[in-house]
Amino acid sequence: MIEIKNLVKSYDDTRVVDDLSLAIPDGSVFGFLGPNGAGKTTTIKMTVGINRPDEGFVLIGGHPPELASTREFIGFMPEEPHFYDQLTGLEFMKFANSLFKKTSAKSEEELGIILKKTGIFEAKDRKIKNYSKGMRQRLGFAQALVNNPKYIFLDEPLEGLDPIGRLEIKKLIFDLKNDGKTIFFNSHILSDVENICDQIGIINKGKLIYAGPVNAFRKDKSLEEQFVHIIKNITD
Amino acid sequence: MHTIFSIAKNTFRQTIRDRILYGILIFALLFIGSSIVLGSLGLEENLFIIRTFGLAGIYLFGLIITIFLGASIVYEEVEKRTTYVLLSKPVTKADIIVGKFFGLFMGICTTTLLMTVAYILIVYLSNASFDYMSLLTVGLQLLEMAVLISILILFSIFTTPLASIIYTILLVYIGHSLSAINTYTDSIGGLGKIVLNLAYYLLPNLEKFNIRDAIVHNVGISVSSTLVSIGYALIYIVLALFLAKLAFDKKDL
Repeated sequence: MIEIKNLVKSYDDTRVVDDLSLAIPDGSVFGFLGPNGAGKTTTIKMTVGINRPDEGFVLIGGHPPELASTREFIGFMPEEPHFYDQLTGLEFMKFANSLFKKTSAKSEEELGIILKKTGIFEAKDRKIKNYSKGMRQRLGFAQALVNNPKYIFLDEPLEGLDPIGRLEIKKLIFDLKNDGKTIFFNSHILSDVENICDQIGIINKGKLIYAGPVNAFRKDKSLEEQFVHIIKNITD
Repeated sequence: MHTIFSIAKNTFRQTIRDRILYGILIFALLFIGSSIVLGSLGLEENLFIIRTFGLAGIYLFGLIITIFLGASIVYEEVEKRTTYVLLSKPVTKADIIVGKFFGLFMGICTTTLLMTVAYILIVYLSNASFDYMSLLTVGLQLLEMAVLISILILFSIFTTPLASIIYTILLVYIGHSLSAINTYTDSIGGLGKIVLNLAYYLLPNLEKFNIRDAIVHNVGISVSSTLVSIGYALIYIVLALFLAKLAFDKKDL
């Protein structure tokens, strides 16, 4: 289970995340939604242990992400991922793999399988500096899977992908769910979220305004319509 | 420990693939090579001139490479957000600091080795003798570069590459003038003396790693002074990297 309890984070006296609590059961796909600047990325960074909360805590499978040992079981794809431009895709995967104690013995073939799954295998020997945005996005997804993580965090995974790419990544998310993985992802492409997620959380100005099943939130509207309606009501 | 090794290996690979490095290295080899021409103008002093210019070239270009590559080493990681990928894995900020240090140091060692091979070859062709004492000079120079890398890492956590370059150039200048400052301190009093004393003890005394003059004049170097220089460098590196780790821990990414 991913447990987020009373999370608070401020930057320069502005509360970016304000008393956020969530509980995401194992094996589910959770979509974390919100307008730009709502606090989604700040939350995900604290959840994977990159930054520390000012108040509150996060537990991943009962362990804090600040512990390096907890991060052995986490996969994270940052928003618009950046890499070392002088490396090839495969070299970067090898490097990412070598950072784990428990899985660092993965063979080149096993890394190739991950690269095939994410649709970047053909470009594995090209330098990353020559990758397009969509290719970087795919490599970002691939490196998040390198340790066969139990918990996968994706920050805007569908951003920058063409329709075929989005379809492939959505299928991959379904496959991962079927493998029993717990997936937490940020997105503002609501039409994609609608058919992937078991549950959603909606955040606005750092505060959680909804957490629960997609259908219970959208009622008789589309997710996008209901989302815009709710956010506009709060803003007005 | 294996994560430090992985980061170091990756940093080394990034460093030696940097095109700027090759540009500087070509200039360095041309400079060292030109000492043959300069030496031929010096008649009986040709070996002295070759050694003086050659060792100065290795130092100067080693310094340029260190400063240019070191100034952005952590800054770029933070700006390009590659730290997100690293820190979401079982990697600590201390691993990044130490791994980056060793990776860049290995890159500097490799380029310095290339320049040293060229220098030794030139001395051998001019004099038919192996200038083994130059190895000690280069060894101590590498210690100076290691100290500078640790300071550059510290700077690059909280300032831009340009500012890091300026601060480091100033530090190199002051660091090689500390003995003169110390002599001057004896002749003054009051607040000035306190400030200069503080600077003397806090800033790195880089002259401890400079034996180029002694070597080209064939003056012997004692084992004890070499050991003191090694110990001084190790203490300074550990302290600078420790401060860098503290600063990095406090930084929100």
